[in-house]
Amino acid sequence: MSEAGVREHKPRPLNQRVLLVGLAVVAPLVAVLTMNLGRNPHVIGSPLVGRAAPDFSLRPLDGGEPVTLASLRGRPVVINFWATWCVPCFQEHALLVSTARSLAERARFIGVIYEDSEEQVRGFLARQGSAYPSLVDPGSRTAIAFGIFGVPETFFIDAEGRIAAKHVGPLDAQSLEAKLRQAGLAP
Amino acid sequence: MTPRLTAGFALVTTALLLAAPLAIPQQPAGSEPSRVVGPSRGRALAGEVLAARTEEVAGLLRCPVCQGLSVADSPATMAVNMKAQVKELLAQGYDQEQILAYFEHSYGEFVRLEPPLRGVNWLVWLGPVLALAAGGAVVAWTLRSRRRAAAEEPVVPLPGLGPGPDMLPDDPELARHVRRVRELAYGWPDGRPPGSSS
Amino acid sequence: MTAAIGRNLVLLALLVSTVGAVVAAATAARRSAAGWAWTRRLAYLFALSMIAANGLMVWALLARDFSVSYVAQVGSRAVPDWVAVVSLWSSLEGSILFWGLVIGAYVGVATWANRDRHPEYMPWAVAVWLACGAFFAFLLAGPAQPFQSVSPVPADGAGPNPLLQNHLLMAIHPPFLYLGFVGMTIPFGLASAALLTGRLGHDFLRPLRTWLMLPWTFLTVAIVLGGWWAYEVLGWGGYWAWDPVENASLLPWLTATAALHSALLSERKGVLKGWTVTLVLATFLLTILGTFMTRSGVFNSVHSFTQSAIGPTILVFLVLALAWSIALLALRIDRLAAEGTIEPALGRDSLFLVNNLLFVLFTFTVLLGTVFPLLVEALRGVQMSVGRPYFDRMAVPLGVALLLLMGVGPALPWGRATPAQVRQALVPPLVGAALLAALGAALGVRRPWTLVALAFGGYTVQVTLRELWLPLARRRRAHGESLGQALVEAGFVRGRRRLGSYLVHAGAAVVIVAIAVSSTMGESREAQLRVGEKTEVGDYTLTFVAVDQVSEPHREAVVARVAVSRAGRELGVLSPRMNQYERQREPIGTPAVRSSLFEDLYLSVMNIDPASGQLDLLAMVNPMVGWIWAATALMALGSLVALVPSRADTRL
Repeated sequence: MSEAGVREHKPRPLNQRVLLVGLAVVAPLVAVLTMNLGRNPHVIGSPLVGRAAPDFSLRPLDGGEPVTLASLRGRPVVINFWATWCVPCFQEHALLVSTARSLAERARFIGVIYEDSEEQVRGFLARQGSAYPSLVDPGSRTAIAFGIFGVPETFFIDAEGRIAAKHVGPLDAQSLEAKLRQAGLAP
Repeated sequence: MTPRLTAGFALVTTALLLAAPLAIPQQPAGSEPSRVVGPSRGRALAGEVLAARTEEVAGLLRCPVCQGLSVADSPATMAVNMKAQVKELLAQGYDQEQILAYFEHSYGEFVRLEPPLRGVNWLVWLGPVLALAAGGAVVAWTLRSRRRAAAEEPVVPLPGLGPGPDMLPDDPELARHVRRVRELAYGWPDGRPPGSSS
Repeated sequence: MTAAIGRNLVLLALLVSTVGAVVAAATAARRSAAGWAWTRRLAYLFALSMIAANGLMVWALLARDFSVSYVAQVGSRAVPDWVAVVSLWSSLEGSILFWGLVIGAYVGVATWANRDRHPEYMPWAVAVWLACGAFFAFLLAGPAQPFQSVSPVPADGAGPNPLLQNHLLMAIHPPFLYLGFVGMTIPFGLASAALLTGRLGHDFLRPLRTWLMLPWTFLTVAIVLGGWWAYEVLGWGGYWAWDPVENASLLPWLTATAALHSALLSERKGVLKGWTVTLVLATFLLTILGTFMTRSGVFNSVHSFTQSAIGPTILVFLVLALAWSIALLALRIDRLAAEGTIEPALGRDSLFLVNNLLFVLFTFTVLLGTVFPLLVEALRGVQMSVGRPYFDRMAVPLGVALLLLMGVGPALPWGRATPAQVRQALVPPLVGAALLAALGAALGVRRPWTLVALAFGGYTVQVTLRELWLPLARRRRAHGESLGQALVEAGFVRGRRRLGSYLVHAGAAVVIVAIAVSSTMGESREAQLRVGEKTEVGDYTLTFVAVDQVSEPHREAVVARVAVSRAGRELGVLSPRMNQYERQREPIGTPAVRSSLFEDLYLSVMNIDPASGQLDLLAMVNPMVGWIWAATALMALGSLVALVPSRADTRL
């Protein structure tokens, strides 16, 4: 029905262009959002796993020769970054100490102090006991080289000096054993 | 040169070469930038320039602790330490890309606040540009098609059936209303496009 | 007991909104007066139930009634009463409850205001509003229940996050934000109604514009208040970090601004109606996306809540709303007949298209940058960041282009402009451009983008002032009135929308220029000082005078007293501080800011040791930051002026 003087106007039932553009914009967005549900965005994967561990030369808390990573080669090494003000570090400390003692020469344990005062650390170790050296990291250079986001973070290095595994948060016996195996600890 | 002098010379040189590692100051623990990013490529900086560049480069790194801020802005101890290392690397002559790559080696791509130009990241840099081009094309096309439509034969009322310009009521208020209705109905206040014959 | 009443109020709201949506839709399909009366009643009842539920929660917070789960979560006997009230929106469940309050109030008022008007549209609109209201009531009844009973009743609660107790702005910023965000539901309903009826005439564009402009005003103020809060409270000296949640508030603002301009053209010329409704729908959808971004825990943001079941629920609603919008547009957009045509030549009309383009591009860019890390995570399994440097780089050209458009658009006449008219319109403001750029250069501005921003800003301000002046001048010539009379008559009585709009433009131009100047012309210095030592920044001399320690119930603070002087004149003492809250390991600094007309002196404590008397001070001079806040107030004022309805506007 066309009236004289009125612009011809035939409304189609469906504007396909609008539909396609709309779906093209919306579908990827919804897909991306859905795929990311349940993931914690604050947990960042470490790129260092599988790579050679950064070398360091740090002075132990109790004095003595600087400890280098190169000097520890030949057996699995566990490097635990920790601090006295960190509650989960306190929780895992006993486990680390006892495991270090029981494994003796089969694996080496090293603690690296993170943003803490030497006095506090000495007091803590005197009270809680220690079985392996804790190293002082001035300027957090080693922590930065290892890509530390917070404490506790523990790195498991194999006999060739490659990072076999990383553990974020307090260690439990199962994870500790599993990751030691990954670092090549013979059963 | 006598053989004795030559031997002596060789001995001293060898001794110096062997002693050299002891003479060089210990590399700061943890930083092995040359192993990660190669020898320094840029010019060593100092003074005001160093301070300014430290802020700039630190502004491109994400603080791992206060993840909403850059290393330049964050008050966290970790950020302060990272900024100090940035300053040291700049003073040693490493350039911006090397410094960013060094931290990326340890922390992953997460630590870079500007997506590096590789792989899928090109999408985020080119996306806005392509959108601008596409949008600009749409606007240009829309205007051009309107121009074409306006140039084409516009709707002409059939002779005798469309309103004439003289067919307006005398009352000015009413006339205004009538013109408005015509504008709504026909698209033009007089019921026809301007310039077409009555 | 209280919790049970609260739960029942929530269930009532859910029931009423669901039934009301159905009744409204039926009324719209069948047009009955009784149906409309019932629709209205149900809308009012929904509003009342939400208001009552919120009132009950506020009472419970003030009374420290820890038998209510939300009060047990965020209430505390140790905090002052204003903090107790403010905790209503400080945590997830309470914030959804507050959302319910705002949507209920908006729906109630909007229904009441339009009770006798637009009978063919309103039932559809109310149906959509109540459907949205029902979703939020569903959240309150299901995944985000604030009124659960706690037993045994604890003696005290933990209180809200200490960061949220630091500043009075916490009481103002969220309500404004919700009034803006949630308010976008109303134009969404109106636009849906227009599409459902297949008509968007001049008569309905007016309420659409009004009900878009009201939440827009709140949202503008809220976004800037957020920036002000970050500036005054956080201590890093900036006001915008392009955090995902900040972007979430900006995205709907961008499309709402575009929609306002598009609606203006639709009202005047009857064109771009499809664009207008699309932008209005997009605005609402972006608010839902925004609330998903904030509450789902999927985005890496300082503002985000921890993950819970609410994320997927909001996502489902978002998908439904997207499907609704796309379907509605695809099926009905062609029915919105254009009543005129855009002049294809250079003129104000065609520049509205450019305006739409730029705002949509800006929205796309911010959205892309914000979502991109999630895309990469999904495709490569690698976390990466798209941070401030990227967004600044993209926003600068867009902001500057919009600044210029704000000048060129209003300068040109409506419709087709002859080359002579174009010259006459576009050339004189170049004087303003040159003046401001020269002034900037004289004061030391060297960065190209800042100079460009100054030039465009000068251009736009001159155009805006001229457009503000013209009706006054015309009136004075025609009626011989004094300036004051002309201002009242031409400005307030007859041309409120015009006056208001140009005030907003003036404010916006100043904001953009102030942002450009403050981000590039600042000076900063870090100094390690002992008591008695001094340092200099800008024209100021800062002397570290003393260290104080202040004990407050919820925090311990170490305060640095710094004496400020300039050119020998004493200007007072600033006291930046470092606060140690019990619940957090890293202390949080509070900066001290001394604002003068052209700049802020900003002091922040990086580190302070009372024992050794050593202070690590960050001192900054930030030019023109105060202008951002003041100009935003001007924008809000202009918007309010434009919102006052006038009879003149209803005349054909």
